[in-house]
Amino acid sequence: MKQLKDIAKKHKKDTYSLSFTAFVIGAMTVTQALLIVSIVMLIFLEEKSFSAVTSQLATLLVVFSLRGGFSYIHGKIGIGMASKAKNHFRKSLITQYTNNPIQTSIKGQSGKRVTLVTDVVDEIDPYFSKYYPQRILSSIVSLMLLAAVFWQNWVSGVIMLVTAPLIPIFMIIIGKKTEKKAIQQLEKLTSLAGKFLDSLQGLITLKLFGKGREEAAAIKKSSMEYRTATMDVLKFAFLSSLVLELISMLGIALISLEVGLRLVVYQNISFFAAFFVLAIAPEFYKTLKDVGSAFHAGKGSIAAAQKIVDELEESDQIIQWGNEQLSQAAGPPSIRLNNLSFTYGEDHFSLEGIDAAFDPYSQIAIVGPSGSGKTSLLHLIAGMYLPSTGEVLINNQSLFNYDEGEWFDKLIYISQDPYIFSGTIKDNILIACPGKNISQEVLTYVLEKAGLTELIGQLEDGTNTLIGEGGRGLSGGERQRIALARAFLKRPSIILFDEPTVGLDLYTESILQESIKELAQNATIITVAHRLHTIKQADCILYLEKGTLIGKGTHQELIENTKDYLTMLEEQQGGIAG
Amino acid sequence: MFANSGYIVSKAALLPPLYILTIFVALLKLFTVIRAFSKYAERYYSHKATFTILSNVRTFFFTKLEALAPSLFQRFRSGDLLARVVGDVESLQHLFLRVIYPPIVMLVVFLTTIIFTALFSLPVALILLTGLIITGFCIPLIFARKQRDIQSNIRQNRAQLSTDTTEFLYGFLDLKLYRKVPFKEKALRQTSDDYIEKQENRGKQEQLSFAVNHWFSLVTSWSVLALGSYLVSTTELDSVFLAMLVLVSLTVFETAAPMTDAPSYFEDSRNAAIRLFSIIDEAQNQQELKSKNRLVELQKAPEMECKNVDFYFVGESRPTLSNVSLLLPSGSKTAIVGPSGSGKSTLLHLLLKLYSPSSGTITIQGQPLDNLDENQLWENISPVLQSNHFFYGTVRDNLKLAGERFSDKEMNEILSCVKLDHLSLGDKVLEKGGNLSGGEQQRLAIARAMLKKGNLLFLDEPTSSVDPITEQQVMNRLFTQAKGSSLVLISHKLTGLERMDQIIVMDKGKIIESGTFHDLMKRKGYFYQMKKIEKSVFYK
Repeated sequence: MKQLKDIAKKHKKDTYSLSFTAFVIGAMTVTQALLIVSIVMLIFLEEKSFSAVTSQLATLLVVFSLRGGFSYIHGKIGIGMASKAKNHFRKSLITQYTNNPIQTSIKGQSGKRVTLVTDVVDEIDPYFSKYYPQRILSSIVSLMLLAAVFWQNWVSGVIMLVTAPLIPIFMIIIGKKTEKKAIQQLEKLTSLAGKFLDSLQGLITLKLFGKGREEAAAIKKSSMEYRTATMDVLKFAFLSSLVLELISMLGIALISLEVGLRLVVYQNISFFAAFFVLAIAPEFYKTLKDVGSAFHAGKGSIAAAQKIVDELEESDQIIQWGNEQLSQAAGPPSIRLNNLSFTYGEDHFSLEGIDAAFDPYSQIAIVGPSGSGKTSLLHLIAGMYLPSTGEVLINNQSLFNYDEGEWFDKLIYISQDPYIFSGTIKDNILIACPGKNISQEVLTYVLEKAGLTELIGQLEDGTNTLIGEGGRGLSGGERQRIALARAFLKRPSIILFDEPTVGLDLYTESILQESIKELAQNATIITVAHRLHTIKQADCILYLEKGTLIGKGTHQELIENTKDYLTMLEEQQGGIAG
Repeated sequence: MFANSGYIVSKAALLPPLYILTIFVALLKLFTVIRAFSKYAERYYSHKATFTILSNVRTFFFTKLEALAPSLFQRFRSGDLLARVVGDVESLQHLFLRVIYPPIVMLVVFLTTIIFTALFSLPVALILLTGLIITGFCIPLIFARKQRDIQSNIRQNRAQLSTDTTEFLYGFLDLKLYRKVPFKEKALRQTSDDYIEKQENRGKQEQLSFAVNHWFSLVTSWSVLALGSYLVSTTELDSVFLAMLVLVSLTVFETAAPMTDAPSYFEDSRNAAIRLFSIIDEAQNQQELKSKNRLVELQKAPEMECKNVDFYFVGESRPTLSNVSLLLPSGSKTAIVGPSGSGKSTLLHLLLKLYSPSSGTITIQGQPLDNLDENQLWENISPVLQSNHFFYGTVRDNLKLAGERFSDKEMNEILSCVKLDHLSLGDKVLEKGGNLSGGEQQRLAIARAMLKKGNLLFLDEPTSSVDPITEQQVMNRLFTQAKGSSLVLISHKLTGLERMDQIIVMDKGKIIESGTFHDLMKRKGYFYQMKKIEKSVFYK
């Protein structure tokens, strides 16, 4: 509620314009009634000829046009405000998701977030396009109409004054009830979306496990829950419009009765006043009724704003980068890990107190059993995770003192499962050097180095073949080679490799081996290694077990000093041989 | 009712007997209350029915998507599908509630009013009729045409926003690493701006349509007043009714107001429906290709055979598989090896009936696989694919995919079989298994497949991210459990293949060698060469 009001306050100019148009509309409504009544009076009671009322008729036409014109402008201002508000909320969400560290970004379901950005933000619309302008319109117009009625016939005015406040009172009571329900409704909507997107991604898995039907049932359940939540909200909306209808009917009936009785029985009211009041009364109740139904739409917006604000507040820590420049001097920087720890929170996964230092141009291997925290360590060095304690020092300064762009310019990270964006092969490679003009020769060279030339030769559209979602599927080896092409294009001074030769065919492996060797000439390489070959060549090996650093040194040193490492090595060789 | 009160006032002015007045007032109140309550009931039930229909549409849509599963993401993007199932379905409600319903109400109210008016003055009735036609049909239709382009753009923009956001979230890590985040963020903001702008245009159009309609209704009332005045002055109309007719015309157009929204909602629903049904149609076509026969009974570990199988991906001229023939006898253990892109995984997908061969046949127990109900096949399969999906939930939820019947004890046993003792069943699994390492994901997938106890084990590089010692232990357990079952293993390593009954060597979509480990080594062909390369790479 507060957020929406704040936004409304920020746009003072719009509020003033809305008040002005409302005032004009109110004045026109009163004038319209006066004109109609006087025309009927002239014709009906005074039995004047038609020509006597032509001027009034003409004025009436003008009044109608003004009323229509101004209500159009009134609505337009509201729509403009709604656009600004939606823009504000959507951009805050996008900024939030942009600044989230990776550890936050993998929590929660993407489908939920997508719905927040799309549908929930759209829910904000009615508050500004309907409720807010209607509230201003109704409060100004109803006061003007009331004044007009008092002027002509105070008894009807009193009836209005007594019945009208019932409408806002009921609205408040019912509105309170709806608020929670509306939040629940959005909750159900986002979880439906989360469920759906997740199921969609795993459709093949679901099919093979024969779970398609059950999953459809789960989606049905989620959808039904959403239906129930929606009906809960609507029930109140209908109830409130029922009550509004009854109150306004009651009000109009009372006024008709009062006017009729006074006119007929007591004969202490003029026909003019009676007819005028009867023409105004429905307008009066209608404007109150309108604010009532707009109020409901507005409640949905308040719930939506609440939901978005909750999401915005949820972010734990945002990684704040500095603006220190990495020295342009030749060569990679030195890297030091100082008492580095990390935890996902309640999950089992963590790293504890890692200390290590890597010289420029060195080759580092991170070794350890699966699940020992190797990948997390790589994420920490890349600046993707925020450490719980300790820091990564680059040239003896904290990593986060540097400019984010500077750092990522120097670095390449080939993850286990490089993401392929929906686009052409070329787009997917050029992503490594945004904004630069890459010549065809360079592209050809890079493709050659990554061992993609043959594949591309076989494709009809060559490098313009669409891949990723909405395009050709790629095998794991092909994806790795796309990532490699990105690396060759970028020529980084720090390379982070996650299990580089895993799950690939021999061809890709040999390409990778050679490529890494070439890239290593100008860079520091930190590898999560599974291959003895990589390990033996490393200048320094970090041996991890369950998140702690058990041993550190060259292959030879570790064999001599670290018993666990030796055991692992023996087992591993046994494993490979077997 | 309004006619009633207008009439009362006019009559009152001429002092009618009091009893007529009281009867009219009583009637008025009765009508009011009945109308309000029936409106409540009508709205409640029509909405409930509509939302039930919508949730059925969603489920229907999902089941249809399933049929397209294997190649779904080559044709559609997930964010787009999400936009369709949530937003597009949602907007169908307007078709029921705001397009079909208001014209009916309007027609009923208008016609009765016009008939009522005609009793007093035919010309006035004619004016009302003209007003009805203009405001109820002409203006909405004109605006409907204008809305058509805007609406379909809005739907597309919305889908675009959803697609962009989805990709932004799924590819976040790589976007960050390649410093594409600001760029994509900008694109996202742009999409959002476009979307909001289109919405604003639509809103203004609606507002304009509303204003024009409102103005016309006022003009109609004005004409009634003018004509009425004229008729009274020429004494063709009893002046008593003038006030009544004016009030009638002012009120009757209230029911025309919802009509101004109708064209916009109609267009919106129409676009949504087009988007939804384009997918459903495609799925339907796919479905027709599938027959639903059940084999009498699939034997334990049924024999499967491929004969001269070719396979082309849609729109590709180069075959992904050409002339592939192989036999998988009951209970046999087969390995498929070969370089990346040689068609190993595609072959497995064909055996899984995720794709159909372009030519040639695959048979199971001597009967064509095409004739078999896929669910019957999948009941017998324990699969581990290259990319295994893990759902947002707990370890238990993800294991229970294999079946609801398993006790915690059984599941814990399976976890220890695959050396995942450090996980407990209640541990959280994030979307796409984001908090599990590659090796853990693979072992969890193996655990799931082992729990399922299918007689056909299809494994696509199941342990590529697992360290060798664990790999060996896990594979040993798997082989023990798979004693009587058929097993097909796609392997990236050439080690540990001695125990396989046959090894199929593939290259560029063809089978170039096959036989036992010792046959192939003796033959000194392709496999032997590969083995030599592997040694030189790994055992320096």
